Amino acid sequence: MKETLRQSMAWLHTWAGLLPGWLLFVIFLFGTTAFFQIEIDGWMHPELKRAPVTGQALDRADALFRARASGAESWSVSLPSGRSNEALVLSWTPSGGGWEDRAEVKLDPATGREVAVRESAGGFFLYRMHFDLHYLPVIWARYLVCIAALAMLVAILSGIVTHKKIFADFFMLRFGKGQRSWLDAHNVTAVLALPFHLMITYTGLVALLFTLMPWGANASFGSMEAFYEKAFPPAPTIASTRASPPSAPRQLPLREIIARAEANWAGQRASYISIEQPGTPDMVAGIWPGQEMLGGGRQPVYLNAATGDMLGTGDKPGAARATQRVMIDLHAGRFSGAMLRWLYFLSGAAGTIMVASGLVLWTVKRRAKLPDPSRPHVGFRLVERLNIGVIAGSFAGIAVYFLANRLLPVGLPHRADWEIHSLFIAWGAIFTWSIARPVKRAWVEALAACAVLYALVPMVNALTTQRGLVPSLIAGDWIFAGFDLAMLATAAACGFTAWKVATRKPKTAPRRKTRELEAMAA
Amino acid sequence: MIHAAIFLLSLAGFALLLLAMGRHQQDWLRRKLPAGGSRALHLSGLLMLALAFVIAGAGLGWGYGAVAWFGWMTAAAALIVAANLNRDRILRRVRP
Repeated sequence: MKETLRQSMAWLHTWAGLLPGWLLFVIFLFGTTAFFQIEIDGWMHPELKRAPVTGQALDRADALFRARASGAESWSVSLPSGRSNEALVLSWTPSGGGWEDRAEVKLDPATGREVAVRESAGGFFLYRMHFDLHYLPVIWARYLVCIAALAMLVAILSGIVTHKKIFADFFMLRFGKGQRSWLDAHNVTAVLALPFHLMITYTGLVALLFTLMPWGANASFGSMEAFYEKAFPPAPTIASTRASPPSAPRQLPLREIIARAEANWAGQRASYISIEQPGTPDMVAGIWPGQEMLGGGRQPVYLNAATGDMLGTGDKPGAARATQRVMIDLHAGRFSGAMLRWLYFLSGAAGTIMVASGLVLWTVKRRAKLPDPSRPHVGFRLVERLNIGVIAGSFAGIAVYFLANRLLPVGLPHRADWEIHSLFIAWGAIFTWSIARPVKRAWVEALAACAVLYALVPMVNALTTQRGLVPSLIAGDWIFAGFDLAMLATAAACGFTAWKVATRKPKTAPRRKTRELEAMAA
Repeated sequence: MIHAAIFLLSLAGFALLLLAMGRHQQDWLRRKLPAGGSRALHLSGLLMLALAFVIAGAGLGWGYGAVAWFGWMTAAAALIVAANLNRDRILRRVRP
């Protein structure tokens, strides 16, 4: 009985892991980079300097709103998180305009001067790609991601049952032993970061909870719209008793609004401010805290923007929503400091390697058992080609995304879109190239291409900006230096892997001989 | 500082757990330890990990500390695996 349970779990592990495997690789890869999305965003906007927001900058923001956005329905301010070089972003919807007419201005957080910043989707795209994919409707993408995540949970749990020797083999990693070393690499990356894998998969499903299971909210609230209305109540309004305002009241300065809101929070800082109906007696300011605490409150504070009177603090979430928030916080890791963020990143990298090594292991395990290894069947060849095309292709695509950020002309229309297209064009090119080449050569060449592309990123950065690796190191700018060093480390890892694959001598001869002997004996 | 303490304790914990396993004793110590010795190593390894958890929780808050503890345990175990992978090279340097 025990043996059959293990066998059935092994079967489940193989297929629940393989079928969504390529999508899982993409989810893990982009999700891992998304832990550093703000830092990557900073690198992709080299015009910005890292600085805390000053009162002077906020005063200039006030003046800019009054001069250029009077009559707008709402104003909003995004404050830098402090993690990277970010702008103080002001935006507003002109009166009568829709969301697509929204105007946006980026200010230097130290001086408040307007900065011209290249158009780029930055680190935010990598984050969105992680669960919304690209070029297909968001809702389809989310269903696909949901199914993949469910399969991942099944694969993890069945994997634990299958590899019951994981504790006996806990520290074992053998290189240069063919199938054995692939299995070890898969086990080590899976087992060492197992708490992370379980947590990230489960909390990922919680983040997509209402895509997957809208019925609970539907049953309790009637519809999803009613649920969202209750979960995110609209800003309170000022019950104005006057028929017509005597005169347009003066709005409190932004710095005062921020100070009053932050006095309500224990240590949390304001990250987003929205002012509804600015310039009228009904103007209401909503201030949202950042997500710097695990499970920290995300309730806005509402103020009368003219008088500064408190209007409300949003509903305190119930136990269910508070639990969901902690889980989503755990998933996104926004609360983590630099140390913990690196641990998140390394665990994510282990997850990415786990998925990739699992996919490769599928082919390695079956190659020896093929009836004729020189002419494998269609399914085998499909898996083999998808492995190279997706693993190496998407990896190379990210490097090209960074290169495109530096190389595309600043004035190019739809520049941010073209950065993203570049990623997929490179991915497609590697995919096509790898189909046309013998398998082993395809791996070596695709990995070598990754190494070259990642090594090019810091070089192109040094040539196209003033913030190359050496000046960044001298200036102690760890966002830029860290990014460039991470690129070089990735290039080295790709180069090393390519070299390992190229110099590996397949040891299939003895095995074939024993099988021949067996066949003769039979 | 707290992070360093969690990491070093986890590292020591996993090193002890490694040495508590028969097959690794053969590799690293060239002999198998008696069952009592292995059990003592095993228990002290687990104790180190538990201590790391307590320090993480007390120093960083129990929620944040728990996340950091898992992260550092992964990092420490990975380092021990890397050391085990390069065993021959390390042993040659320690006792030529």
